Amino acid sequence: MDATTARKGIFDRSTKGTQIEPVKVLVERGRIRFFSQVLGQTDPIHFDLDAARAAGHPDLVAPPSFFMVIEAAANEERKRLGITTAQELVRVDYRYLLHGEERYFYEAPIYAGDEVEIGIVITDFYDKKGGAMEFVTFESRIVHPERGLLVRSQRSLLHRLPEPRS
Amino acid sequence: MNAIDLNTADIGSSLPEVTFGPISRATLALYAGASGDHNPAHIDIDFARNAGLPDVFAHGMLSFGVLTRVVTQWAGVAALREFGARFVSITQVHDKISCKATIIERFEAGGETRLRLAVVATAQDGRETLNGDAVVALA
Repeated sequence: MDATTARKGIFDRSTKGTQIEPVKVLVERGRIRFFSQVLGQTDPIHFDLDAARAAGHPDLVAPPSFFMVIEAAANEERKRLGITTAQELVRVDYRYLLHGEERYFYEAPIYAGDEVEIGIVITDFYDKKGGAMEFVTFESRIVHPERGLLVRSQRSLLHRLPEPRS
Repeated sequence: MNAIDLNTADIGSSLPEVTFGPISRATLALYAGASGDHNPAHIDIDFARNAGLPDVFAHGMLSFGVLTRVVTQWAGVAALREFGARFVSITQVHDKISCKATIIERFEAGGETRLRLAVVATAQDGRETLNGDAVVALA
């Protein structure tokens, strides 16, 4: 018997299809600036308010991967409100966790000062490498109350499952 | 000025490369704080060792964020329609990342002309860490 088939999955696959309650997140100017600085962004519309306004934007523009910041902030807000997060629901174990894939579809810009709503759906679970890796996929949407859908995301996370103990 | 004009760019043209790093532990701590991704596997060596890992490793999304710059520093963030990447190997502490993009397709969608680009991040030893694709709209 292939030893890998004996590895035991960690994800709670009964959560497939679960929609996590949307919460509101305020996009902060300082957070866009700090995040952009760490990534070495060179376009001043991400950190210089005058440059952003001169380029026709109402405020600082969030860079493309800022989506993650909003999701992390949403998870903090859920914890504060006593709502179980997607990571908690699927039982992420950070000892074995890796990121599989991340994809964004951009409909409209996210600006500093926006109060956006973000909801997540747990879409699927699957295995790879004979069960040595297990995956979970999520879809999320960031929606602005007036401007509508701003960004959609598709993501997979995976556990590299430990060898079974004999 | 852009090295390649967006509207006349040919299939197969490569964009100016973006390099990042070497990635220090301080960078990982700052990225954890800036992103809100506080997974201890990236910032706490005690946690990493208890999980059987030799060391902390970089957030995949740190490289992802740098990789998007290849496209947005050339086309502008407002032109970006889609960006996706797979994390094909772990980015280690002290890795220096090179990010590249190549135009692979021109097509019509959503009432505009768009370009699809192949994007890839590699470490200093040639190890591929991320690969994927981006879609930008022509002005």
